[in-house]
Amino acid sequence: MKKKLVSMLLALAMVASMTACGGTDAGTESSASQGGGDGKPAASSDAGSNVVSDYKLDKIVMYVDGTLAANAEENRDAFEKQWEEAVGVDLEIVQPDHSGYSDAVGRALFAGDRIDVILLSAGQYAEYASTGILWDMTAAYENASFKDRIQYPAVNERKKIDGKLYGFAPAYGNGAVTYVKKAWLDKVGMKAEDIKDFASYYEMLKKFSTEDPDGDGVNGNTYGLVASGYAKLNEAPYVMYMPEFWQDAYPSFYQDASGKWIDGFQTEASKAAMKRLRQAYVDGVMHPDTYKFSTSDARKSWFSADQVGSEGVFTYWAGNWYQNLTDYLNDNGVDSELVMLPPIKEVAAAGGYINRDAPVWCIIDDGDGDNSREQAIFDAFIDTMMDGDKVQMLWTYGAEDVHWSTKAETFSITTNKGKDNEKTTEYTFEEGQFHLRPNSAGTKLWSKNAIDPTLSLCALTNGNYAPTDLIVEGNKFFLDNCYDAPLTPSGEKLTEYNGDIVTAREKCLAAIVQEGKDVETAMAEYVSSVGYAVDEILEELNNK
Amino acid sequence: MSKKKTIVTASGEMVRKKPLSLRIWNNRGYYLMFIPVLLFILVVKYWPMLGVRWSFYNYKPIGTPKFVGFDNFEKMFRTGDFWTAFKNTLVLSVMKLLLTTFASVIVSVFINEMGNLFAKKSLQTIIYLPHFLSWAVVASIFTMLLSTSVTGTVNGILKDWGLITEGINFLSDKKLWRPVFYVINIWKETGWGTIIFLATLAGINPELYEAADIDGATRLQKIRFVTMPALSNTIITVLILNLAKVMNMFESVFVLYSPVVYDKADVISTYIYRQTFGSAMPNYGYSTAVGLFKALVGGALVLICNYLSKKTRGRGIV
Repeated sequence: MKKKLVSMLLALAMVASMTACGGTDAGTESSASQGGGDGKPAASSDAGSNVVSDYKLDKIVMYVDGTLAANAEENRDAFEKQWEEAVGVDLEIVQPDHSGYSDAVGRALFAGDRIDVILLSAGQYAEYASTGILWDMTAAYENASFKDRIQYPAVNERKKIDGKLYGFAPAYGNGAVTYVKKAWLDKVGMKAEDIKDFASYYEMLKKFSTEDPDGDGVNGNTYGLVASGYAKLNEAPYVMYMPEFWQDAYPSFYQDASGKWIDGFQTEASKAAMKRLRQAYVDGVMHPDTYKFSTSDARKSWFSADQVGSEGVFTYWAGNWYQNLTDYLNDNGVDSELVMLPPIKEVAAAGGYINRDAPVWCIIDDGDGDNSREQAIFDAFIDTMMDGDKVQMLWTYGAEDVHWSTKAETFSITTNKGKDNEKTTEYTFEEGQFHLRPNSAGTKLWSKNAIDPTLSLCALTNGNYAPTDLIVEGNKFFLDNCYDAPLTPSGEKLTEYNGDIVTAREKCLAAIVQEGKDVETAMAEYVSSVGYAVDEILEELNNK
Repeated sequence: MSKKKTIVTASGEMVRKKPLSLRIWNNRGYYLMFIPVLLFILVVKYWPMLGVRWSFYNYKPIGTPKFVGFDNFEKMFRTGDFWTAFKNTLVLSVMKLLLTTFASVIVSVFINEMGNLFAKKSLQTIIYLPHFLSWAVVASIFTMLLSTSVTGTVNGILKDWGLITEGINFLSDKKLWRPVFYVINIWKETGWGTIIFLATLAGINPELYEAADIDGATRLQKIRFVTMPALSNTIITVLILNLAKVMNMFESVFVLYSPVVYDKADVISTYIYRQTFGSAMPNYGYSTAVGLFKALVGGALVLICNYLSKKTRGRGIV
């Protein structure tokens, strides 16, 4: 009898818990109130004013992903301490794991955890801006002290939604360019300037995969190119790593020339791109594990010390990575001379290499109708970020005498520690000479913190500038050859169906490329599985 | 007329049962010791269950959760990918369970029959090791071994021997993915699975083997008529206990699958993962609904196993 009673009580507890309408959950209320409670941004009481807020900030809680290179292992405490000393406000940095950042942010917001400023990707920004949780910083941005020094005004203009700015991008978005191993080109008797269109590009890939570009005496034990997947269909700008194959295709929702939202995945351009990828798969010009490689796997395969099974072409981040890739090849004893391939004819016709939508710093609106607190956060956090001197140095290079220094010193960097090809390089700097210092492990020279100096919205005014010639050259090359990625859409329906649609697209692409399924058949299966969802999303986007 | 509560002692004597409060007081030491366990169970096991209510809501990182009744379940049941994942979960889990258990029993019997103690201990140690490798490491090893690239070991050997001319896509072929998955699981978990069977084998009365020897039984006959019957209860218990966990498959699939084999490899946990992390504004309500359904099926499996256990062994496991 007692057992039955206990069982019934437990069952009742379960039922009660399942059906409880917890509308007054603390976290829920907090989240709702952050956005003003009515789903709209809080009214801007002092919009347009040029007055710096006199609100007394106790501290700022900041959420950032792994792009803050001065992380816990790389002396983040020193960065935090020097920032607090420079700004006079306590700073709390929350830096969740990079790969789980989006989820960590979502959970923190829902739980009502205190967040004052937050770094959001283009996708998150588009989704969050419509909820009213982000502060409208249009007026603050227009009146920012750095406004006159902005080098790339279009970056934040593009971030405006219905004329309002909810997030600040401190740098250009950046993107990927195609690198080719110069030594391999020489071996197969080709010149970079001769690669002008897809036909000559493909011929190069074929030569890399059938001849002996690595010079080991064996034909056909290398590949044309490698990438992390045929496309990253769950992350804008989707086709950054294989521009020559995707060309004018953009396999997701975007606005066509008439301004109408369409599903780019179903366009003829995307179908043609998938056929090109299939052909490359059949011809064996791309590494067979491309479908499963992470970006790290692809990188390692490309600059591997053993060039058997390696590749000649790799499309990857411009600027800093031009230097990094060169260094990695050097460290592995591989000829490190690289060629940045100008966009081939078909890519150039589409606009060039894709410049991704830059991540933005957003201020969480507390929804109290008074902007003084948010303005104070803008002044302390965002305005100082572009001060051209002390604080911008912290964001650009990190903490003084920790990540960089101007003091006379000598130190050494050891690469490939414990391996046969271990190499130690000694560096000596004179007093007053600006230089970057070793990372915490002493294996690499520090390069930057959160803001790439060559992409920064505003240049440093103190003359401290450390990018190498390769970085400068790489960034210039990218800026000369890029176009802005289509805007990322947001909407209820898109949120609801995104997971299903991405899965269906991934299956369709894999079926065409790896299984050789007819493009029209695979596309018909895609439409039959998620066509209804695509239609609902397009209807919502086009009726906004 | 009040009814006196009585109990029968071991000697058959009828004595009046003491009041509950007195019994608790008399055993207060035990109850005190039990309190931390009770609190732990309530906080860690039962408190999180309150979260299942979100399966009836549209619950997103921002904004007030909106009660939607059974909408999330409705969406789940009409989504083809969910049913594919559900079917795959059952097929992959049950097959994996049967194959690894079978392999563990065979290896246990083999080890038990080994006479050389050093060889026996060495073999045990070697076969336990893969269990301690994380699935990420295992996936990296097998991806390299089974790659169709020029550095893929298995395809390289098969080509060298003239058995194939084109590389075999072991991990990206719909027909091959499942068999390869089972083989990898057997390699990783068989050794660990032998522990419980070897313990059972060590407990078999040696007199049974002596009696079999006297009766002239061969080694195989001793295995068949002494060892296997002694193991049968353990095999059933292991199967039943593990059957309750079949819905929890995630890591092993997540690190080995890719879009081309989703139809054969996607399981409920990987489906939930993609639903949750595929959007900047995921609906946790939907993920919770799928998770709740998974838990209910898992619960039902436990009850079915318990019923089967009662039927076959005369006693249940819960």
